[in-house]
Amino acid sequence: MTLPVSVVVAGEYLSVETAQRAAFKQADRFDEIDLTLNADQQKAILALAGPQPPHGKLRVWRATQSGQLLGYFFTDEVIGRQDLISYATSIDAGGKLGEVEILVYRETHGAEVKNRAWRQQFAGRDNLAKLQFTTDIKNIAGATLSCEHVTQGVRWLLALWQTTLHGL
Amino acid sequence: MSCVSSKQRALSRLRISFAVLAALSATATPSLAAAATQAELEAKVQSLAEQLAALQAELAQMKAQQGANSSSAPAGAPAVTSATAAPSSGSASPLSFFGYGELNYSQPRDNTADTTADLARFVLGVGYRFDDRTRLVSEVELEHAVSSSEDPGEVEVEQAYIEHQLTNSIFAKAGLFLIPTGLLNENHEPTRYYGVFRNFVETAIIPTTWREGGLAIQGNSEIGLRWDAGVSTGFDLSKWDATATEGQESPLGSIHQELALAHGKDLSVFGALNYTGVPGLRVGASVFTGGASQGGEELLSDAHITLWEGHVRWTPGAFDVSGLYARGHISNTRSFNSTKVGNPTLIPENFFGWYLQGAYRLLDHGRYNFSPFVRYERFNTASDYAALPAGLTPDTLADQKVWTTGFNLGFAPGVVLKADYQWFRDSALSDRFDLGIGYQF
Repeated sequence: MTLPVSVVVAGEYLSVETAQRAAFKQADRFDEIDLTLNADQQKAILALAGPQPPHGKLRVWRATQSGQLLGYFFTDEVIGRQDLISYATSIDAGGKLGEVEILVYRETHGAEVKNRAWRQQFAGRDNLAKLQFTTDIKNIAGATLSCEHVTQGVRWLLALWQTTLHGL
Repeated sequence: MSCVSSKQRALSRLRISFAVLAALSATATPSLAAAATQAELEAKVQSLAEQLAALQAELAQMKAQQGANSSSAPAGAPAVTSATAAPSSGSASPLSFFGYGELNYSQPRDNTADTTADLARFVLGVGYRFDDRTRLVSEVELEHAVSSSEDPGEVEVEQAYIEHQLTNSIFAKAGLFLIPTGLLNENHEPTRYYGVFRNFVETAIIPTTWREGGLAIQGNSEIGLRWDAGVSTGFDLSKWDATATEGQESPLGSIHQELALAHGKDLSVFGALNYTGVPGLRVGASVFTGGASQGGEELLSDAHITLWEGHVRWTPGAFDVSGLYARGHISNTRSFNSTKVGNPTLIPENFFGWYLQGAYRLLDHGRYNFSPFVRYERFNTASDYAALPAGLTPDTLADQKVWTTGFNLGFAPGVVLKADYQWFRDSALSDRFDLGIGYQF
């Protein structure tokens, strides 16, 4: 088991641990998993998720309660306009997305992506066909790149769950 | 972590084995050879050879595993790695490169001899993160491809500022930055707007890309409120050329300073408020005001310029609807204008413009998207002049009206092909067909 890590950096709005607790209130364990994907798995994920922006580091945890899987918790990084946005989200055991939380935002341009109302658009979605940028996840004019890239990143995570994590 | 540790252990064991081998070689001198029997030496060498073979196999296995991991990450996919390291505080390199560009072809209907093809903008940007709170943002722009005394091009520094994060929601900026006004000024890349050319209101009335040197702060709240405030350099009315028509095309565009040895006697202040708390909605307003004499022209010593605007953009799904109204005012110009009567371009007291625009994302399939749009603009770069003695006040200009319709076709992330047709009413400009391509990375 890997203990939750609280990140201490400027611009951090929520620690990883706090975001984990918010995503899975009933969880008594968060076990970080070492995820290795082969070429076929990566290809399948990309085919479902669609075009991707440059990503930074991805981390994945299994959330359990008394050994029972509640879901997965993710931290990921995608490029905003010029610098990386660190965000977190979760997918429950039934494949439904939780809220998106912005962990670290590093530039002034596009900072509107932190808006609670915008981030809440992801919660409860489990269908990639209903997770399209602008039509399903509405844009914030002036923060288009940040909104589009976070949406693409979340699509990749949901595709990861559907192709790989689901049934593990 | 475990992978790294086992590799370190293996390497360590390998180094020890080589050290032992070296020691054995050193001892295999005639003088000391007698101290060990040939059989003992052979046994030791055999034992070490077996250990080496085991280590080689272990290393080969680890290399194969690492190779499989790295080769399984195609371009564009997230780097899925051992998930035991702490989260990164950003990209590996503090340096980032970005840019945008636009090329266009424009053919007037009435005078095809004036058809032009232009690399209108070629912009490269460099960002640098000094630490987790402080960044440099810079952009250098080349307009019209070639810049020399015999060519129409210009080289400009479009942005060069330091931004520093004061709290989780407040940033400070210092340097040459874009003024937070309108819908286009801070989002002027060709992939961000409809039409081959930027709209007229945010070119003739708001002089996009409008930047000033100064200090600013910006705040964002979780409920979707963004506010900006700052103090900066302003306009320089001593640059006003009554004999030229540039001031009629864009009053403020003809007297901006762009931090090129800018006169700083009269500073300006600005503020902006934007609300984006409802997904898909942006509504906001801004004001910029300050003295504009810069000590250069005594007859304009009390001149003051104010530009304000309000805007809204609503993107409920496939629709994209926006509107903007901007109005500028230049005060205390009567004395100056009275000395310029008879020239084509006196300083206006008021100028304004507004537009409405609607677009619809007709196709959105993977990397392809297709959005037709239509826009109506009405603007006037001299709707009023300060009153002069009877008969001397110039006639105000007529409102110019422009219809633009066309499409944006995105065919790769950050690349757009555009085409449109523009109808001009009460304008010296001819209706025209435009074709363009733009990119941003």
